[in-house]
Amino acid sequence: MNHSASENKNEVSRRSFFQLTLGWLASTFAVAASAAGAVRFLVPNVLYEPSLRFKAGKPDDYPDGSVTFMEDERVFLVRQGNTFRCLSAICTHLGCTVNRADHGYHCPCHGSVFNDQGNVVSGPAPRGLEWFQVTLSKDNRLLVDKNQRVAADKYLVL
Amino acid sequence: MNDLSVRRFYGWFTALGLLVGVLVVVGYYRDEYREWKEYQRKFIQEEIRRASTPQQRALAESTPVQIRQILLTDLNRVDRCTTCHLAVEDPSYGGYPQPLAYHPLHEQHPFERFGCTICHRGQGRATTVADAHGNVPHWDQPMLPLQYIQASCGQCHEAADNPAAPELARGQQVFEDSGCRGCHKLNGVGGVIGPELDKVGARRSPEWLKKHFLAPASVTPGSAMPPQIFSETNLEAIILFMLSQTGESAPGYYASMRVIPSASEGQRLFQQKGCIGCHSIGDQGGKVGPALDDVGLRRPPEWMMQHFRDPQTVSPGTVMPRFGFTETEARALTDFLVHLRDQKVALSLPSLMSPVERGREVFRKYGCAGCHGADAKGGVPNPNAKTAEQVPGLIYVADGYTKDELKKRILNGQREITALDPKRPPPPLFMAAWAGIIKDSELDDLVAYLFSLKPKEENPGF
Amino acid sequence: MNAPLPKRIWQWFTRTRVGRSIFRVGLPESNLERSQAMVSSFLLHVQPAKVNRHSLRASYSLGLGLISLYLFLILIVTGVLLMFYYVPSTEKAYDIMKDLQYVVSAGLVIRNMHRWAAHLMVLFVLLHLCRVFYTGAYKRPREFNWVIGVGLFLLTLGLSFTGYLLPWDQLAFWAITVGTNIAGYAPVIGLKLKYLLLGENVVGQEALTRFYALHVIVLPAVALLMVAVHLWRVRKDGGLSRPDEPGDIVQQVELKQLPTNKSYGLMELARGTTPQVGQNPEDEVFSWPHLVFRELLLFLLVTAVVLFLAIFWNAPLEELANPIHPPNPAKAPWYFLGLQELVSYSAFWGGVVVPGLLVTALMLLPYMDRQRKGVGRWFARERAVANTIFTVCLVTAIVLTIIGTLFRGPNWGWVVPWEQPPTITEGH
Repeated sequence: MNHSASENKNEVSRRSFFQLTLGWLASTFAVAASAAGAVRFLVPNVLYEPSLRFKAGKPDDYPDGSVTFMEDERVFLVRQGNTFRCLSAICTHLGCTVNRADHGYHCPCHGSVFNDQGNVVSGPAPRGLEWFQVTLSKDNRLLVDKNQRVAADKYLVL
Repeated sequence: MNDLSVRRFYGWFTALGLLVGVLVVVGYYRDEYREWKEYQRKFIQEEIRRASTPQQRALAESTPVQIRQILLTDLNRVDRCTTCHLAVEDPSYGGYPQPLAYHPLHEQHPFERFGCTICHRGQGRATTVADAHGNVPHWDQPMLPLQYIQASCGQCHEAADNPAAPELARGQQVFEDSGCRGCHKLNGVGGVIGPELDKVGARRSPEWLKKHFLAPASVTPGSAMPPQIFSETNLEAIILFMLSQTGESAPGYYASMRVIPSASEGQRLFQQKGCIGCHSIGDQGGKVGPALDDVGLRRPPEWMMQHFRDPQTVSPGTVMPRFGFTETEARALTDFLVHLRDQKVALSLPSLMSPVERGREVFRKYGCAGCHGADAKGGVPNPNAKTAEQVPGLIYVADGYTKDELKKRILNGQREITALDPKRPPPPLFMAAWAGIIKDSELDDLVAYLFSLKPKEENPGF
Repeated sequence: MNAPLPKRIWQWFTRTRVGRSIFRVGLPESNLERSQAMVSSFLLHVQPAKVNRHSLRASYSLGLGLISLYLFLILIVTGVLLMFYYVPSTEKAYDIMKDLQYVVSAGLVIRNMHRWAAHLMVLFVLLHLCRVFYTGAYKRPREFNWVIGVGLFLLTLGLSFTGYLLPWDQLAFWAITVGTNIAGYAPVIGLKLKYLLLGENVVGQEALTRFYALHVIVLPAVALLMVAVHLWRVRKDGGLSRPDEPGDIVQQVELKQLPTNKSYGLMELARGTTPQVGQNPEDEVFSWPHLVFRELLLFLLVTAVVLFLAIFWNAPLEELANPIHPPNPAKAPWYFLGLQELVSYSAFWGGVVVPGLLVTALMLLPYMDRQRKGVGRWFARERAVANTIFTVCLVTAIVLTIIGTLFRGPNWGWVVPWEQPPTITEGH
């Protein structure tokens, strides 16, 4: 009855040792990998919302010195001479869409006022409006990327 | 107790544990290493190779490997072709092998608004080459062979209007000339012997269509359709035209953009708006405004455009009202007037035509030539029909019928066609009843035309 | 050598304070602990502390009930994951299936696992039913558990059927059209039942919504409950059937507190055919580790098989459902093809009477069976008649299903499967 004796003494043969260790390692790995796989499954790879990178038409569509509001994307396209910039129209206070004023931008909800650089002049907004990256696409369209926030002095020069 | 000891199962445990572990790893690899990632990596390598500045190189190196898609909610599609076809917008990739080639001529139809599959068909949601190109089981819209690409223009644009799709226009011409409408309805007009053609382009492949035209019975057993004789060019053109009939409707934005300002569109507008009420062409029309026959010689196109936008600005004191034309409509009308001197354009205005000429158009509209032959000369086979196994020509109807009898005959049709040999199957083609389909005025004109077909008495002296 | 590393790690953990708070009994090392591990654990206490050694024999039960249960668990896990993407909308469902295949990480594998586990579950529940029949394990005192089992079989078919519609492709749409039409043949309630199932007169959005609700919550909840009762009854009826059971000798145990300084828990107080009744000590072994380890192995095997199938064979997805283009022939899911074949002979007799009688006969079987002998053995001689009748019915059902699958083509006419494609779609 040496088998039952060794069972009780928490000892196993060398072969059993390897078999069990390997078996448990493999099984635990499989469970962990499956769990990781299930989590990765839940992370979406494509989004069904309008893309954050979009084309804003040709550079010549925008007159010199203009500030053009793009309603669906909630941004302003600003042209001065040969420079192009893109300013977010979403107020940093609680998310309303700001309006263009003669100089700067006013938010109709709680009265925040921003200057032409997007900085807060007055009102409850905690920080300035965001600038987004503007580049030129391969087919010569303005390409705005709302994923990329840039400093106010980084603009596209044509 | 010994034979029940679990120790003899340890080996099984190891084996099964390893098996599950291995399978999980295999599953992971198959999921992770997808075809499209390879194509993207090749593109990134190419971009790095072509980079001429450090910034360009950095930009290329930081390009993420991810699925790219064009979301087209109005068209109810998602196109993921750009996951592999990464350089479609970059002219510097012209001439590269697919999938990295540049796609020219997309100015009118930017990819962000149109995607790819609306023209090229295929399976936009797929991310493997075979599935995306659509020549796979259980996908009934494989990619259109490139030679038929003009068919897609016809989904939104009028076939005859599009200067960029001459084959499509030719296809429509062949369709009308061959009288297919005599048996098939298209856009609500036509006969009922064959099926409607409104969605044929979505259901049938080019190969099927070709076989169908050349030998209908080989693809549709028991078909009454006679084999068609086309030149190679006309055959391809009519296949193309059929492929363009997909039943897709252009929603909202697309419908508003689809009018091509061409002379034929201008002619339609000219009819629609009743310009002939005040202006004359030839000896027809009103005297309120000037005659338009030579307006293309007298006025430059810019003047005409402004005239359509606001007549007062170029003709102060004129009584011509402001119609509120869109730019496209104005351009179409201008184009029409500029080409008014061309014979063909002028004569197709129904209000200017004689009953016989109108009747010829009715003959064409309802596709009578499909059974009664081009110019009603007959020659279309109808196996086992007593009338020389052919559908009879109509040249001599004036001899056999009065006008009223002929009208009745057209309205009532003739379902039973006398068979030559009662033992053989009955003749497949018959005269459909056109009551309820053809209008009374059209019927009068048609009869006038048919009566005019009788050749003048030959000179007995010859 | 010392115990293997994983075991030592676990032993260490279950002696820490956190470990002890979760696992009240660590890795058992004495018989007492082996009993306690089973009885004091929530998940494990569906098993008894000890089982009869006969029940452990794979050649007896073939583990079919366990396999069915594991498949059900796999279906629940994969099903819940799929619920994070799937929407029961006729506009969206098909596109989502395509997305699962092309853009969702592991989407294809998880969908495949779900589909293959579903088919396997229908098969293995049926096999389990056959095993229980052939071993006479439905006889007294297990009659009601058999009835629950038949109910579970019908639930399995229902779950598979409701899930079949969800991809909203041609295969799904027409299979459910055929299936609900067959249901409509039932007298009196048939059309009402069909209307209730579909929510309208045709298979459309209403049907999809209802089938989804049935598939993800109603039927699984009922099934889980019935599985719980089913397993409970297995224990209370004396464990798996055995050849040497005392039969209908029911020993009444006096309900009184037995003097004890052992802690075997509930089992002392229970009445009736408890595992303790009529068992010889040599016949019993501790569930831990003998039963539990075998169960673990079987789970690994089932997982391996399902994974293997899922990785190398894709679940089918045909064209988008098109109500005006029926495939010819339109076929029900495979487990209903025998039924569809019967219906092709007579809607009433084949579709209503025969299946109705069969199901009723199945349910009433244990109460109609007077033969007491033959429990616990495969194909016992004493039960030759019953076994023969059952086998004839089973083989007939299989043959009908095979005919319906392979030998029926357009217009439900005869075809030879190796000479002709099985279906053509009208209009193509």
